[in-house]
Amino acid sequence: MLRYLAFRVGTMISTLLVTSVLIFTIIQLPPGDYLTNYIGELRAEGDSQAEEKVAFLREQYGLDQPLPIQYLRWISGFVRGDFGYSFEYAAPVSEVMGDRVFLTLVLNFATVLFVYLVSFPLGLYVARRKGSLADRSLTLTGYLGLATPNFLLALILLYLANALFGISIGGLMDPAYADEGWSAAKIGSMLAHLVVPVVVIGTSGTAAMIQRLRANLLDELRRPYVVAATARGLPGGFVLRKYALRSALNPFVSDIGDILPQIVSGSVIISVIMSLPTTGPMLLSSLRSQDMYLAGSFLMFLAILTVAGMLVSDIILALVDPRVRLSARRGA
Amino acid sequence: MLAPATLRAELVEPPLLAGAVERGELPPMRERLPDDPYRTDFEAMGREVGRYGGTLRTLETQARDTRRMVVFGYARLVGYDPDGVILPDIASNVDVEEGRSFTFHLRRGHRWSDGEPFTAEDFRYYWEDVVNDPNLGRNGLPRQLMVDGKGPVVTFVDDWTVRYEWDAPNPAFLPALAASLPLEIFRPAHYLRNFHARYAEPEELAQRVAAEGQRNWEALHFKHDQSYKNTEPDLPSLQPWVLATRPPADRFLFRRNPFFHRVDSDGQQLPYIDTVSMSIASAGLIPAMISSGQSDLQTTALTLGNYAFVKQGEDRQDYDVLRWPSGKGSRMVLFPDLNASDPDWSELLRQSDFRRALSLGINREDIAQAIYYGLARPAGDTVLPGSSLFSPDLATRWTRFDPDEANRLLDSLGLTGRDVSGTRLMANGRPLDLVVEFAGEDGEQTDVLQLVAEDWRRIGVRMLFKAVERDTLAARLAAGSPIVSVGTGLENGTPRPEDSPAALAPTDSSQASWPAWGLHFESAGRLGAEPDLPFAQEQLRLNEAWRRTLDMGEKERLWRRMLEIDADELPRIGLVADVDQIVVASRRLRNIPRTGRWNFEPGAFFGSHHPDTFFFAPPTATAQAQP
Repeated sequence: MLRYLAFRVGTMISTLLVTSVLIFTIIQLPPGDYLTNYIGELRAEGDSQAEEKVAFLREQYGLDQPLPIQYLRWISGFVRGDFGYSFEYAAPVSEVMGDRVFLTLVLNFATVLFVYLVSFPLGLYVARRKGSLADRSLTLTGYLGLATPNFLLALILLYLANALFGISIGGLMDPAYADEGWSAAKIGSMLAHLVVPVVVIGTSGTAAMIQRLRANLLDELRRPYVVAATARGLPGGFVLRKYALRSALNPFVSDIGDILPQIVSGSVIISVIMSLPTTGPMLLSSLRSQDMYLAGSFLMFLAILTVAGMLVSDIILALVDPRVRLSARRGA
Repeated sequence: MLAPATLRAELVEPPLLAGAVERGELPPMRERLPDDPYRTDFEAMGREVGRYGGTLRTLETQARDTRRMVVFGYARLVGYDPDGVILPDIASNVDVEEGRSFTFHLRRGHRWSDGEPFTAEDFRYYWEDVVNDPNLGRNGLPRQLMVDGKGPVVTFVDDWTVRYEWDAPNPAFLPALAASLPLEIFRPAHYLRNFHARYAEPEELAQRVAAEGQRNWEALHFKHDQSYKNTEPDLPSLQPWVLATRPPADRFLFRRNPFFHRVDSDGQQLPYIDTVSMSIASAGLIPAMISSGQSDLQTTALTLGNYAFVKQGEDRQDYDVLRWPSGKGSRMVLFPDLNASDPDWSELLRQSDFRRALSLGINREDIAQAIYYGLARPAGDTVLPGSSLFSPDLATRWTRFDPDEANRLLDSLGLTGRDVSGTRLMANGRPLDLVVEFAGEDGEQTDVLQLVAEDWRRIGVRMLFKAVERDTLAARLAAGSPIVSVGTGLENGTPRPEDSPAALAPTDSSQASWPAWGLHFESAGRLGAEPDLPFAQEQLRLNEAWRRTLDMGEKERLWRRMLEIDADELPRIGLVADVDQIVVASRRLRNIPRTGRWNFEPGAFFGSHHPDTFFFAPPTATAQAQP
């Protein structure tokens, strides 16, 4: 198990390294840099002095140095917790990211939890009642969830949440709590505001998950060992839990790896649409203004989140299914 | 309804500050105000004396929009009034001689928001320690301080008097000080000295540089010296509301400046409203947030298209939806790039008749009806009827829909060949595939362009359009890549003869019709290209003549001549004008004009209407006031 872990962590780090190079390259691909955008912006507001203002800033910000050097400075600082400097906010990136990283974690964790808590019992339920009205209607709802554009769903649900429950539109808490410290009321407000984004981001994942569990279980339920167990008179629920479910669980767990990137990237878009104080909106604006260290650090953070999630899924998988551990040992 | 002024002689402290005054942390109102505060003329402005308190909630789309508060607050050395006249504001008076000598008289006892005195020293600091400092002022004087390549002679007469003198008139000086993005010729010296190598302890300075992740003290100074960016709560300010939230945040609070220099007609210190709260939300969400009552005063992210939607929530959320006519020359303008790098296109676009044909080929009435519900006026990009320089002939020159005439003009340019799709061919066989580039992804521009494309097909011009990022478009324009780009019209649509006509001449590299020529002028001939079309040279010459003269009659004559050339030569193809800005304002909010020109420059949107006089009526009064 330890070797398996070490192997997985090793892959993880090399993946992240490659990702960091890619991220840095892609951010630099559009023509210009933060300062050319800054000039454009000042111009649009009628500042005829923009070019001169910016001339010496390029040197101050280190934008006159070759890209590989800029990359190396950024990535070597990263390990030490120094994520570089945000031009737009004129502050170190770590200061700018602040709460957002935490709230992003909360949002993504809540969504994963939602997906699993909803899809597991429902998947079990419909697998046992294949072809029933409940099965069909749930499947239909699931497909609707998959097919509805997330932004549309978000707007409709936000409107309903406001009209029915008086929950303020946008943000992850009522504006009144924005500047206060954490209190029970603030957490309550946050939980209420979390419902809509979690449902919106989670629906498609949930629908897919239910179908996957249902299909796996149905496969298992037809297997001879299940039939044999049932024939011996073991109760249906026991057979399902002790026999079929254990084998059907494997893909369900390993799906964390698939579902996590989906949730993480989905939450960026939904955060922008719903104005959530997560990394999403800031990531988008930093990409637009080519605030490269800020954008790069956000992207790295999302990459780390994904890779770490996959690691967790692999570990759980290894715990649930000994074959995975063994094959890794044999392969190594 | 209101008590007569005599009964209100007893001045009340703003409740927000009363506690601090009682505890002795703040001096009482009389001592916080300058000896001769700016007395707002409530009677002339048709305002009522208000009451203190309340939080004004508004929504912006990006955290960087904290700068909107510098525009909204609009405290300037001198500022525009709603009619476009420049009046003293922070300065109590300005003596102008021959348009070349400007003496500013400051208000004695005026203080920065942190309570430190605001004096001539703040001007001296900017002049000697910032703009003329060999390290900080490396790029030379701001352009508006240069006349014929020379800066002013600056005299610091006494603590409250400063004089700027040039050899020749500098008509750009006062407008630059009054601009929405102002030229600030003073700095909070007592604060910025902490970051200046000449004043700060070297050790302390080095520590600060390191702690804030800056490269050197110049960068540190620059970081703290950005009053317009408005991202630093510690930076002393003269605005009515001062930033209280340190970015990054999703909601910014701006608290009243206890030392603000304006009073109402009873002598009570302004502003009335204690706090402005600015929440950041995505543009798509803002109309929904308004209709759920989450904004007290809103213009950002509101277009005519949202009108019906926000109007529905009017009574439920107790707000009014107002329409303010736009102050821009035109809502949407096609800019043929006369400096386009593509030789075939450049040759065509430089021909007046080609631009005229493009203009005649557009059915503007159609656009006004289909996109703007008939609430727009089909017109070219020129001055608006509100300006004394307006004439109907200018607005309608080459703007009627006349495809036959357009076809005739194109034929006469030798563009007679056609391909199978009916698109005209250039002499060398290239089809007239005209790519129009526009910034932003809002539906409005796409919808309008689609209609223009339909119209142009009838004159054998095929339009393809392409949305790009605004910044990318600016970079592409600088390189001469676009053939035609899209933007908005003249910034000041209601100029008076004393306002600069520079926008009509190639004077600025951000002018999309001729960025290279503009850059040439801007850089005094070092960069860009010299204009080689006679009409552009003529416009430059007239603009220069306008700058030289102090005679108002002559200025007006020059303006009219320039507008005439502009309308005839069509360097900008305007589509529709007078598209209103939607303003959503809580019904409790008082003193806000029901209508006014909506314009960034001049006027600073709400700024010239003095938002410091806006106030919230008590909730009960609202019910009574509504019939």
